[in-house]
Amino acid sequence: MSRTKNAVWLLLILPGTLFVILFMLVPLFSLCLTSFFPDQSFSLSSYFRLFGDAYFQQTFMRSIRLSLLSTLVCALLGYPTAYYISKFSRHKGMMMAFAVFPMFTSPVVRSFSWMVILGKRGIVNNFLVWSGLFAKPQDLLYNEFSMTVGFVQLFLPQMILSLIGVMDNIPDDLTLAAGNLGATKLGSFFHVVFPLSISGLVTGSVLVFTGCMTAYTTPQLLGGTDTRVLSTMVYQYAMSLRDWTQASVVAVVMIVATMVISSVFNSVSRKINPMA
Amino acid sequence: MALLELKNITAGYDQNIILKDFDLSVEKGEFVSLLGSSGCGKTTCLRMIAGFSEPMAGQIIFDGKDYTKVPLHKRNFGFVFQSYALFPHLTVFDNVAFGLKMRKMDKETIRHEVLHMLKVVDLEGFESRYPREMSGGQRQRVALARALVIKPDLLMFDEPLSNLDAKLRVKMRVEIRRLQQELGFTAIYVTHDQEECFAISDKVAIMNKGVIEQMDTPSEIYNRPKTEFIARFVGFENFIDLERTGGCEFKANNGARIVTAADHEGSCKGCIRPGDVTVHAAGAQVPNAIQGRVLVSTFLGQRNQLNVQTDVGEFVVSTDQNQVFPVGETVTLSLAANKIILID
Ligand SMILES: Nc1ncnc2c1ncn2[C@@H]1O[C@H](COP(=O)(O)OP(=O)(O)OP(=O)(O)O)[C@@H](O)[C@H]1O
Ligand SMILES: [Mg+2]
Repeated sequence: MSRTKNAVWLLLILPGTLFVILFMLVPLFSLCLTSFFPDQSFSLSSYFRLFGDAYFQQTFMRSIRLSLLSTLVCALLGYPTAYYISKFSRHKGMMMAFAVFPMFTSPVVRSFSWMVILGKRGIVNNFLVWSGLFAKPQDLLYNEFSMTVGFVQLFLPQMILSLIGVMDNIPDDLTLAAGNLGATKLGSFFHVVFPLSISGLVTGSVLVFTGCMTAYTTPQLLGGTDTRVLSTMVYQYAMSLRDWTQASVVAVVMIVATMVISSVFNSVSRKINPMA
Repeated sequence: MALLELKNITAGYDQNIILKDFDLSVEKGEFVSLLGSSGCGKTTCLRMIAGFSEPMAGQIIFDGKDYTKVPLHKRNFGFVFQSYALFPHLTVFDNVAFGLKMRKMDKETIRHEVLHMLKVVDLEGFESRYPREMSGGQRQRVALARALVIKPDLLMFDEPLSNLDAKLRVKMRVEIRRLQQELGFTAIYVTHDQEECFAISDKVAIMNKGVIEQMDTPSEIYNRPKTEFIARFVGFENFIDLERTGGCEFKANNGARIVTAADHEGSCKGCIRPGDVTVHAAGAQVPNAIQGRVLVSTFLGQRNQLNVQTDVGEFVVSTDQNQVFPVGETVTLSLAANKIILID
């Protein structure tokens, strides 16, 4: 009985497992191999060369910095939004639809829209000049600012969705209990709602951070030639310079950095709140 | 003067009025139960007293002060939730300490009070557990300790025992009653378990369709229900319309003469429990006799239940197991005079 059950289970998970192995683990493994065997023999030389390169260092730091900044902005914008939608909104379904609406359009289209909005003659610059804040249009495009704006818009829905998922599971009785025990509204937020929603904040942050680290279209279209990030750098090495070894080295670094920082997020949240 | 008074309360959700012209008064130190069928508004009433929601109209007076608009965190009322509502991210100690921390007590006092209260509810040594590592009964006691430790002026329970098995339920209700008498707090307890509520309370308020139909001591409710709803609630199953013909003498509408121990002005309704009606052979000369025909006979272990059709309606009668009456047989029922309750 249990053996046949197991067999059925195995059969069911087999296609998915095979798919992941064939199209994800194998390429990943060969990617690593390529990066460690630049000329048929094992060597870390590509890594040393890369980390010694000032241009790479800049790009690496920019990737991390922009991803962290975008994550922070998403958290700051997403938390109150999610809190409102989950606990106070009367039209929850509609609000959710609005929140995730950007996910229905492609990153290409969205990046182009930002070009229109942030361009020299876009509405933002028009407003800045019209209001007298600046005498002439500012450079809002093809820099870290426009990239961050693009990232935030791209990944804010993920943050909001993971927060709403967690907040919806906090029973209203808990906040009422806190109030009943003498906590003010602010007190019950800080002592109950916030600690219980940290797990959503972490999940959201990991999603946003990895998303920003690996996004290609947005930094390619909204970034400039002097604001490359790791993903655009991989493309540059592989397609423009035809240097596959160096491209795989950058890719491996990108994967490792993303994993390390995501696990830091997780362990921080576990420290703050061991039970969530 | 009553400690808590609800006056002319209207409460509900949006267009849906649940309580209308609702009154309730609770004396200091009293243990009052709200009893009623599911959906009759018990939880609504309790949550409004706690300040979780505001009444649409009417007043809540507590200790002589108008509490209608006092925010919940300023009420110093305890609340034991049906779901316990323990904070899952806090240990048992921190759960119980929550209310004291909000009151900005110093650490040493908090520690002392919490440990004392955990001892009272028999949970010593569980301080550093998390709620999900505890059994239902233990969680219930944490919830109780958390509500008690703030020394509330009024403690409310919303079906606190409904998640427990029958045995633990009896044990915990004895425990709650013991604590209440020991610590002397005033309590409002919601349940729809009649036995539980009779066992635990000084007074029982029975609710029907958003109002309290009767509020009395358990024995008063059990022995002298004031309305047909309450009578049915406490086990009266037979009702006959009576017309008064003299002191303690009545006439049923088939002409049968009924003599009762109590008296009542004008026409009224007589009610009697199945166990207080005896069954005799047809034509037997017995007091308060009513003729009828056996419709159904049901074996209930110790006793038999007979449904008997009479001129004044169907009777449910509980007979001794060895008294056998075949279906269709004509019998004479006799109503015990001192067991007939007269209501309007
Ligand atoms: N949040 C709500 N919104 C709208 N209607 C509600 C809400 N909560 C309860 N009601 C309605 O109010 C009525 C009274 O509910 P309440 O919870 O007070 O009943 P109760 O007496 O506690 O019942 P039970 O014994 O089943 O717990 C019910 O008809 C219910 O459908
Ligand atoms: Mg209820």
